[in-house]
Order: sequence, then C-alpha cells, then structure tokens
Amino acid sequence: MIVKRLSLTYRLLFASSLVLTAFLGVSAFSLNNAFEASAVAAQQKRLQNYIYTLLTAAELNPDGKLQMPDELAEPQFLIPNSGLYAQITNGEKVIWQSPSALGLFITLPEHPAPSIRQFNTLKLDNGVTLLNLSFGTVWEDNDRKEHQYTFNVAEDLSALHQQTANFQRSLWYWLGGTGLLLLIVQVLILRWGLRPLHDVAEDLTAIETGEKKLLSQDYPVELSNLTQNINTLLSYEQLRRERYKNSLADLAHSLKTPLAVMRGELEANTDLSSLKITTNEQLERITALVEYQLQRAATEGQNTLLAPVAVGNIVHKILASLDKVYQSKAIHRQCEISQDPQIHADEGDIYELLGNLLENAYKYCNHQVNVFVQSRKGMIEVSIEDDGNGIPENAKLDILKRGKRADTQVEGHGIGLAIASDIIEAYQGEISIENGQLGGAKVLIKLPQNQIRT
Amino acid sequence: MRILLVEDEHQLREQITSQLQKHNLTVDAAENGEEGLYLGTEFPFDIAIIDLGLPKISGIELIRRFRADNKTFPILILTARGRWQDKVEGLEAGADDYLVKPFHIEELIARINALARRAAGWSSSVLSCLPITLDPSSQQVQCDNKEIELTAYEYRLLHYLMLHAGEIVSKTELTEHIYEQDYDRDSNVIEVFIKRLRNKLDPEKIINPIETLRGRGYRFTLKRDS
Repeated sequence: MIVKRLSLTYRLLFASSLVLTAFLGVSAFSLNNAFEASAVAAQQKRLQNYIYTLLTAAELNPDGKLQMPDELAEPQFLIPNSGLYAQITNGEKVIWQSPSALGLFITLPEHPAPSIRQFNTLKLDNGVTLLNLSFGTVWEDNDRKEHQYTFNVAEDLSALHQQTANFQRSLWYWLGGTGLLLLIVQVLILRWGLRPLHDVAEDLTAIETGEKKLLSQDYPVELSNLTQNINTLLSYEQLRRERYKNSLADLAHSLKTPLAVMRGELEANTDLSSLKITTNEQLERITALVEYQLQRAATEGQNTLLAPVAVGNIVHKILASLDKVYQSKAIHRQCEISQDPQIHADEGDIYELLGNLLENAYKYCNHQVNVFVQSRKGMIEVSIEDDGNGIPENAKLDILKRGKRADTQVEGHGIGLAIASDIIEAYQGEISIENGQLGGAKVLIKLPQNQIRT
Repeated sequence: MRILLVEDEHQLREQITSQLQKHNLTVDAAENGEEGLYLGTEFPFDIAIIDLGLPKISGIELIRRFRADNKTFPILILTARGRWQDKVEGLEAGADDYLVKPFHIEELIARINALARRAAGWSSSVLSCLPITLDPSSQQVQCDNKEIELTAYEYRLLHYLMLHAGEIVSKTELTEHIYEQDYDRDSNVIEVFIKRLRNKLDPEKIINPIETLRGRGYRFTLKRDS
C-alpha cells in the first residue's frame, strides 16, 4: 500500500496542499464572480447616467418635435466609433442619433413603456458586442399632446471584458503567489515540527552503533512518554543482558568444581563402585546448578511495561496443585488473602517465587501450613509458615546472602529459597526468615506492587 | 500393575521402560501424544506417565482428553523445564503428580507406587494384609516375616490382587493388568499362577489368601492393616 509507505511529511504536505488548492480555488471563483457582477452593475449605472444626460439635453420644440443640441456633455457621443452610442426613436422612426453611431445601426427595435428600463445586448455586423439600455419617455407639448420617444444608449462590451480579464490575471498572480508562499511556509513548519522525530531516529541509530546508551531526555511532551518508555526498555534489557552474562559466568564457574572432582576421581581411583558414587554425587550437583541458573536466567525482573498480575489467584492455583501432590501427607492449610492484591510483574516469576516457597512449606511441614497475603503501602506482603523443623540459624544467612554462588548453597530448603531470593532481588523486594508460631520456618516476603520508573 | 508411558525421547523412553520392567511393572510405551491417546483409550492402565513436551498432541492436551474421557487412572507428569506455571497447568488439567527431569529412577518408582497406593485406597507404602506383606519399592513379599521367592509374573499378579484386596478381580482384568499389549496371552496361565501363588503363600492351606469365585474371578481375602 502506497498510503502506508508515505512519510509523515508527505502526508501532511499532500493534505495541506489539497486544502490550500481548494481554498484558493473557491476564493478565486467567488472573487471573480463578485468583480464581474460589480463591473456589470457599474456599466449599467453608467448607461443610466448617459440616459439622464441625454434627457437633460433634449428639448421639445413648440411643434412637438424633439430637438438635440449639437454639443453634448459627453464628448464620446461625438467621436465616430468611440464605443459609446445613442439613438432616440419614435416608433419605427429614428429621431436622432449620436454622431458616433452614424452608419452603425438601423432603428433599434425596443420600445419599453414610459419610465421602463430595458437592457439587452446587440451584436453588430463588424463583430462588436454592445450593451444597450432602452428607456421609454413621454413628452407633452404645449397642446397637451403626448409624444412617445425611446432613448437608447449602447456601450461597447469589450471594455468590460478587458477589465475583467485584467482583474482575473492579477487575481491569479496574487492567489498563486500566496499559495506558493503558504506551501513553502508549510514545508518549513513541518520540518521544524517533525524535527524531534528525526532526532529520536538519530538517537536510536547512535544507540545501535553503541555511541549512546540511552535516548536524551529533552523531547517535546508528545514524544517524551514514548522516549521514556524506550529508555526504560533499554535499561531493562541492559539489566537482563547483565543477568544473563552473570548467570552464564556463574554457571561455568560453578560447573568447574564438580567437573574437577570427577576428573580427579577418574585419575586417582580405579575402584568402579567408588567412582560410580562420586560421579552420581557430582551429577546431582551439576543438575542442581543447571536448574538454579536456568531459573535465574529466566527471571524477568523489574519492568514497568508488565501487566498487573493477581497474586491471590496464583497462590490459590499453586495451593490446589500442591494439595493434590501432597494429598497423602494430609496437610491442614490455612490461606488468607485480603483485597485481591495485584503486582506489575512477570507472571512466570511470581509463579516461580511462590511455587518454590510454598512447595518448601509443604515438603518440610508436619501437618500445618499457613499462608497470608495482603497489600500494604504499595507493597505486597506474603507470609508462609509451616510446623516443620525450621531452618537452622547458621543456614538462614547463607541462604539469603545476595550474590552467593549456587555451588555453595545448602541442600533442601536451600535451592528453592535461593531461587526465591534471586527473584525478590530482581524486583527489589525483601525476604526474611523468622521463627514462626507453628514452630517451623516462617518466610516473609515484601514486593513493591508498582515498579519505579528508571 | 500396568503403566502407560508417553515420552518422545527415544533413549529416555527405553531406559524408563526397561527400568520399570525390572521393577516388575507392566509398561506400554508411546512416542507421541497420538499414540499415547490411542493406547490410553484402548487398554486399562493403572497409571500414566506423560511427558509435557510431546509431538502431535501435547502432554497437557493428552491429560485433558483422558480426563474428559473419564479416565481415572493417576497421571504423573514428566517435565524438563520445571517451571511452576507448567506444573500448575498440568495439575489443573488433571494430573496428580509431577517429576522434573533429570530424575532418579528410584524417585519415579516411588512416585508410581505412591500414586497406585493412593488410587487403590492404601495409606502405607508397604501393602500389609497380615500375615502377608508386599513392599513395592523393594518388591519383597513376606509371610510371617519370612521372605517368599516369587517369579516376576507371580509377583505382578499378587501385587495387583493385594492392591485391590477385598475386591473381586476378573481373570480378564488380571491378564490385562499384568501383560503388555503385544504379549501373547493365555488365560489358563493365570490359573496356573494362582495355583502356584497359593502353594507358595499358604502351603499348609490355613489362611487361604486368594479365593476363587466361580465365573467371576479372584479375591484377595486377607484384611488390609490400617
């Protein structure tokens, strides 16, 4: 589709030129009409005035004949072919005609009633077109006898046509000039207005080539929302890349130990059964490491663009699943969720976090698990408590120590808690292990519901 | 006890099958969801082990179809990813337990036994109908604390009867649950096995652990210890 590929500039230019053309066209048309109407009106008025001039000059002599003086106020009547002509008729008889009209026409046929004006155009044999005004008059002589005369005044229309053409020409010059000027201004305005978009594109290119890390901050309001979101995405991607890199490095490092142990065992030991035991142990360790680092790498972490997730819903689903799996343990569980708290986070992360913690509770409890979820001051608080043996004091710190490598994690509670702890770190939350009232472990986590813009 | 295994990875499928058979379990293996669906609909199984990432019909979909078809056998999910969202989805679809790859075969067998026990209404891991006890994890059968040597099929037969202690089990049902699909069966063999079991468990004919109900089948008569 061509419309899709058109640039913004072309779209705006195309639309505004269309509007401009239409506007100028309509203006020209109406201006021209108005001018023509007024020119015609002016000519008619002029003819009218000539009629009055002739009327004033005309005189009825005592024998009832209409007399015209030799000299007239309008000299054009006297010059032959001047373009202004007059004729006075009485019925079919020409009483008088202006010297300018000599030999030009025969008796004009219009005979309007007294005081009636009548316009019509005359086409002469030599191709000239005239506008003619006929005016009916009644004269009374001394014997009170009435004489009817028709006064005709005709003027060449070519003058009017010339005038209109002149007007049209200058009208087109002006309107065309204005249109061109407006278009140029339009282009300049567009360039100026769309400048920030070009800047963003340039900024993005700079980021692609590595010259810049983020988009600059000074964009117009309309764009700043977009650029801010892009920036958030960029920093988030940066974080994620770092996390991947770290995970990869951690994984490689932590795999070295079990590999070294196995190699050492292979070189030093010829006893097959002991080799088998060591290999098994180390494979176990490698499996745990891979599992842990995979989880870490998959953690989405803080991101403002994530849709809200209903924590209560996830807790219910996980509990229903665990109830099924741990059916034979006959666990009594209590779960309270207040106000259906939501959090802007990756759904998978929340599943992982709560799944690991809740499974630990089910695994290590004797018969009771208590879960409380609530939101307070923009934080989601989850407390998971069981009546098992709890977690030894010295292990607690190890488990929660940030950035601790997985190959030194303690078994059991450890891996699940380590994963949970990593996810909480990614969301800038808090985790603590307390001694609960049930006698076992009580894990408390707090997560911000809305992620802060970076 | 007959098990349906649906796993697309050839090596793992072979490994699990041979290991389960070593533990005296009857196994029918399918390499994709479609084949799994066919087997599961055609034959009576005690347990299904289903991998989540299957070609043709996904594991989750397979579980849904079994449950929609009113198949009540317990289902154990195998998953490589171990994401909680997957586990929850599988369990919601109708599975009963899950196991994350890689796993120890002992762990798998323990889960299978636990699911079978639960489904048959047993609460302890050792099936005990004194004086006879059967431990599925070690496959040991004892009578009055004395170990009794059984052949593979004798063990399978006794395991199934004891799982359903107190219930009448028909000869066809027994055949179906101790032999694989493509095994050449002869129902007379069941009678021979029963006879041999009786001789081994109760040589003096005092406790009479297995009774024959003419035309209906067999019943393990000893009471379950709670």
